Amino acid sequence: MNCNCKNFTLLEPYLQKYEGDSANKEGNLIPLLQKAQDLYGYLPPDLLAHIAERTGIKLAKIIGVVTFYTQFRTKPAGKNLILLCQGTACHVNGSPAIEQALKEELGVNEDEITDDGLFTYNNVACLGCCSLSPVMMLGDKTYGNLTKDGTVEILKNVRREALNIESAEVKS
Amino acid sequence: MNEIKITINGRELIGLEAQTILEIAQNNNIEIPTLCHDKRIEIYGACGICAVEAEGSPKLLRACAVHASDGMVIRTDTERVLQNRKTVLELLLSDHEGDCLPPCTLACPAETDCQGYAALVAKGEYGKAAELVMEKIPLPASIGRVCPHPCETACRRQLVEEPVSLASLKRFIGDYNIGRTAPCAPQIEQESGKHIAIIGGGPGGLSAAYYLRLKGHTVTIYEAESRMGGMLRYGIPEYRLPDSILQKEIDIIQNTGIIFRNNVRIGQDTSLEELRQNHDAVIVAAGAWSDSKLRCPGEELDGVTGGIKFLYEAATGKIKPETFKGLKIAVVGGGNTAMDVCRTAVRLGAEKVYNIYRRTRNEMPAEEIEITEAEEEGVIFKNLTNPIEISAGKAPADRPLTIRLQIMELGEPDSSGRRAPVPVSGKEETIEVDMVISAIGQKLNPKGFEELSMTKWGTLIADGQTFQTNFSNVFAIGDATNDGADIAVSAIGEARKAAEAVNKFLYGQDVNPSPKRLVKTEKTAEDFNDREKLPRHKTPCRNPNERRKDSLEINSSFTAGQAEKEASRCLACGCLDFYDCKLIKYANQFDANPVKYGVSAHNRSDVKNKETLPNITQTPEKCILCGLCVRLCEEEVGEGVLGFVGRGFGTVVMPAGISDVCRDCGKCAEICPTGALMKAYQ
Amino acid sequence: MKTSPKITVGKGSCGIAAGASEIFEILSNTIANHAPDVFTPSVSAVGCIGMCYLEPIVNVDDKTFIKVDQKGAGEILKLIKGEENHAENYEIRREDLEILSAQTRVALQNCGIINPEDIREYIEKDGYTAARKCVLEMSPEDIIAEIKTSGLSGRGGAGFPTWFKWQAARNASAGNSVSPERKAKKYIICNADEGDPGAFMDRAILEGDPHAMLEGMLIAARAIGSDEGIIYVRAEYPLAIIRLEKAIVQAREKNFLGENIFGSDFNFNLRIKAGAGAFVCGEETALIASLEGQRGMPRLKPPFPAQEGYRKMPSNINNVETYANVPWIIRNGGSKFAAMGTENSKGTKVFALTGKIKKGGLAEVPMGKTINDVVFGVGGGIQGDRKLKAVQMGGPSGGCIPAELGNTQIDYRTLAQTGAIMGSGGMVVMDDTTCMVDMARFFLDFTCKESCGKCVHCRIGTRRMSEILERICGGEGRDGDIELLEELAENIKQGSLCALGQTAPNPVLTTLRYFRNEYEDHITGRKCTALQCKALLSYNIEPKACVGCTLCAKKCPAGAITGAVKVPHKIIHDKCVKCGECVNVCKFNAVAIN
Repeated sequence: MNCNCKNFTLLEPYLQKYEGDSANKEGNLIPLLQKAQDLYGYLPPDLLAHIAERTGIKLAKIIGVVTFYTQFRTKPAGKNLILLCQGTACHVNGSPAIEQALKEELGVNEDEITDDGLFTYNNVACLGCCSLSPVMMLGDKTYGNLTKDGTVEILKNVRREALNIESAEVKS
Repeated sequence: MNEIKITINGRELIGLEAQTILEIAQNNNIEIPTLCHDKRIEIYGACGICAVEAEGSPKLLRACAVHASDGMVIRTDTERVLQNRKTVLELLLSDHEGDCLPPCTLACPAETDCQGYAALVAKGEYGKAAELVMEKIPLPASIGRVCPHPCETACRRQLVEEPVSLASLKRFIGDYNIGRTAPCAPQIEQESGKHIAIIGGGPGGLSAAYYLRLKGHTVTIYEAESRMGGMLRYGIPEYRLPDSILQKEIDIIQNTGIIFRNNVRIGQDTSLEELRQNHDAVIVAAGAWSDSKLRCPGEELDGVTGGIKFLYEAATGKIKPETFKGLKIAVVGGGNTAMDVCRTAVRLGAEKVYNIYRRTRNEMPAEEIEITEAEEEGVIFKNLTNPIEISAGKAPADRPLTIRLQIMELGEPDSSGRRAPVPVSGKEETIEVDMVISAIGQKLNPKGFEELSMTKWGTLIADGQTFQTNFSNVFAIGDATNDGADIAVSAIGEARKAAEAVNKFLYGQDVNPSPKRLVKTEKTAEDFNDREKLPRHKTPCRNPNERRKDSLEINSSFTAGQAEKEASRCLACGCLDFYDCKLIKYANQFDANPVKYGVSAHNRSDVKNKETLPNITQTPEKCILCGLCVRLCEEEVGEGVLGFVGRGFGTVVMPAGISDVCRDCGKCAEICPTGALMKAYQ
Repeated sequence: MKTSPKITVGKGSCGIAAGASEIFEILSNTIANHAPDVFTPSVSAVGCIGMCYLEPIVNVDDKTFIKVDQKGAGEILKLIKGEENHAENYEIRREDLEILSAQTRVALQNCGIINPEDIREYIEKDGYTAARKCVLEMSPEDIIAEIKTSGLSGRGGAGFPTWFKWQAARNASAGNSVSPERKAKKYIICNADEGDPGAFMDRAILEGDPHAMLEGMLIAARAIGSDEGIIYVRAEYPLAIIRLEKAIVQAREKNFLGENIFGSDFNFNLRIKAGAGAFVCGEETALIASLEGQRGMPRLKPPFPAQEGYRKMPSNINNVETYANVPWIIRNGGSKFAAMGTENSKGTKVFALTGKIKKGGLAEVPMGKTINDVVFGVGGGIQGDRKLKAVQMGGPSGGCIPAELGNTQIDYRTLAQTGAIMGSGGMVVMDDTTCMVDMARFFLDFTCKESCGKCVHCRIGTRRMSEILERICGGEGRDGDIELLEELAENIKQGSLCALGQTAPNPVLTTLRYFRNEYEDHITGRKCTALQCKALLSYNIEPKACVGCTLCAKKCPAGAITGAVKVPHKIIHDKCVKCGECVNVCKFNAVAIN
């Protein structure tokens, strides 16, 4: 059969490794998907079809797994993925107001990309930093004791930095 | 494997060690409902409807999953078990969208399966269609002609363009049935030895007799007139329903073995009391044969009569053709009877026929088509007029009767929602006529029914569900009861329900009908915007100038080709799986209320935009996520075409990679407990 | 010669979020660059000591400095160098230190003290001696007997006796329903999918003392006869995963993992599996499904994992805290552990104190302390000295215990009598500004979103409950809603397939039990006394207090405030979107909320 999907060359070594570990096939699906998402940012349909074809796992099953776990994305995200904690402590200490601030500042709803492509935010279950609540993660950095103004400030800083990098790139 | 003893609902049963509670129950004909279990695939335990109580266990146990152990004591009929079943169903129904029945069936007082007969006609299976219609209406050729068809009013095809011509299709089916050598002859159950008297041989009485006869009872119809048919015979003019058609349908009914006793009038030739004593049950279907009074001075004058009386006399030939030649006739009233009277008067040769009605045409209760056709036949409509006095012999009158008419206008809406007519003070008009026929209403002639409780407006009081009167063995239906006269198909609907109640009564069962649980949705034009617009086929109608001169039927039936084309316009918007659906079956069995938690179903629109299974109709909004299709496809078929997508409340079932793996075996549709997956309608 | 001071910086996730990484950089860079002649102080990163509200925390020998910022780091550097300094401004107050002295640390004994990335520090604290003893000196039966003596029960929520699970897995025959091509074996699984919102003790252990947990797993493996272990960690804990990976590598180097451990014939290998975001995977059968690469949907029990678990083979699953207690029990004896706690709940338990508490963080206390002991004794009471209203225990499966029941003993049985559960030990403290109906709504929204969707009761039932709570909080509660909630709650508890669904109604049932009046206020009175449910609030400007500064009118996003300069303003209620901005900006406290 002719596959007209892209060559997912970045994933190739991991697919080969997958094929090598015949003892753990089904159990290695989730790690393989996690790797694929690391490499491509999200899991588009043709990538899933490619994985199905190479692993021999039925596409319906792969889609089932991908859509079950919140970590997996089937659509692209902004450059900076914000995970806003919606745990109990964060809720009690005002995370709804923080979400409001995010929405207003970014002009998007949950899981959408800002016009400049810089941000996407997602609400997530407890991040386990409850004593600093409300908390959010931006990239791999955790920000605690958030206030509305503080949150806006954080976003502005990231945006400023991104612009600086961009203009630096233009100059060079 | 070792044998074990377990007790279910007090019965000691033998099972095997590895068997589940469900298996042992099923082997012993003890019903435990289940929606997600199938022997071919692994135990899943999702729906929870099979949960039963086990002695010593604080929790309910899922019968499909728990292996029985020796000495287990199980109950499947406790309050807790039943409550759990109900909850499961009510929760599932709150997330299940569809129409168990199409709006036509819901609108039909007789609950006719219009979608079903349309489908059969479209396939050319007219005989089966006749059988299907006769399950609800034993007089399809007649009713197809006269019914104002609430089914069509409700038909969703009008969201595309116009409703399906369901009445004409019914007429087509009825004509087919009476035209063939061996018309529909349903199976009659074994003779019960029970005797039932039906008072009145109209559509209600005939239908009640028919459905009771099918149950094997001995049924006698007592009819005051010399022929059966009631209002269909004596109230509906020949040009709408030919006598010969009606007679053939009555013959079919009689041929089931019903005894007809004509010329027996209650209160004169026999009494209700006598019939009560001599029969196990009586159904009163006496109809409403007395014309309502006009209540204006002069109504006692010669030349002033009632519409029902007039139609009866015309039908029985007491008024001869051409009698009205050169006469001016005024008909008061805006209903279908008034239209029948007007048009009959035209056919009797009247020079002028006036229709007097106190509101406007828009408020007329008569069918629009009846009004139009009357107009075409030359009836003069005097809307917004009301008779205030009729007088005789006033000079310089050239006609014997003078009617003073009050000019009316429309005011505020009244309790019926229609704008109430109000007199315009000082404005009057007079017309001179030969005859005034009042067709403003009709009611029961109470003579002979004095034993029965009546409403203050003179109708018999019958229970809305059971049709029982103040005597437990006397039931009453149709125009004689409660709210009075209504359309024929209403009487037929009541007749079938009353027949069921009588049947239960005869065997000492609770006469109340079991509650009917149904799932319904609201649809808009948008839901059908993918449908091609197809014009409605109408039965051809004769030229007004021609038809006003005789009493021949004014329009003809569909040809087979027309009928099939028209029937295929049906959107089939009612669930095609209704009669096989486990969900609604259980909902009725365990009396689950579909709207207990409201209906806010999750969005499954994604499914429709993705791949579709070959030869399978997917209706994802009916999916109850039992997972049977997904698991069967994976475990039994070995393919894994179907999968769950998403998590929790928003989960949907979707196929993926169909072209690679689906072998089109159709097992997913077979196993689906609802109409979510069905073999495509060929 | 002066000994080199030992400097540690708390670098748990909480510390890092508070800025500990920057402080660590400053300290270590400066010290490295200024090659000192007299001594070589070392800076090492440690895990979370549990006083999260004081982060970043730096220790210099026995001195503790808190909330250290850049300036503070500078002062600490001066102190180390012996220069004049103001480091004392950052020193911890005595009352804060009491938090630690009020605790009894078993599972957390090394957290915040040793460097989790250096196995030598764990070994210095007698690390792996318990494992050595178990492998070389004790029979598997002895180990299980010792655990039985200790009375240790599962710390993840259900509180099931640990020895019993081990015994069941030990007794299960590994050949059961195994396909021929697969070698029969048993598995040791660690549930590190800590998902209860408001609980983070497992994260603290993984980040602060991973070897304690590894050693516990090793002992369990020995006890049940397993040679392979898997740690299922939440993907939201990246730092924990990194530290675990390092710990496993180091343990393998030392031959605490691998083949012929301690020179015996005992082999044990471990791998980490990162979860992918599903709360329900904390349920053991769902966790197994997830390990197997499936959707994490629970299945019916029996068979229990001890009989048929991962790959249909006998598997023992415990959570992080449970395993972390094991080495201590072996070293000190089960009876010493059992001496702590109460009749039915032995040992200590770690609690995560969060919410409106003054001193939020981790507290490990013996079972049997009261809620007030923990909230006021360890946690220092309520922020702003407001009134305690309730403590939420057990997360989405638990319930709200009202302040009146503050003297309730914390043990499995007594807590269950209140309608709450021990759960994994999250304690979210609430004051009078917390709306209990909103709390119930929050939890039902959570379970509804986290429901796997398999069984009807949980999938649709929690959704319907959540909708009802949503409308009550939205000012559209109806008569009969309370009864409908109660009916649904009972039916869901009874009919759900797994513990997630069976316990999901608890937050509603407990708030209905203790705070029914709040529900009634919302539904019939259309008011939220805690002033949290926006739809039920109305904002008004007190004319007497308003000076007409116009600030609120300027800030109002809906243009709902009118008024001229120096004239009291008014809120047009039809336009008001109840955002609360006017309250925030008013300098004269002129905006009242009712």
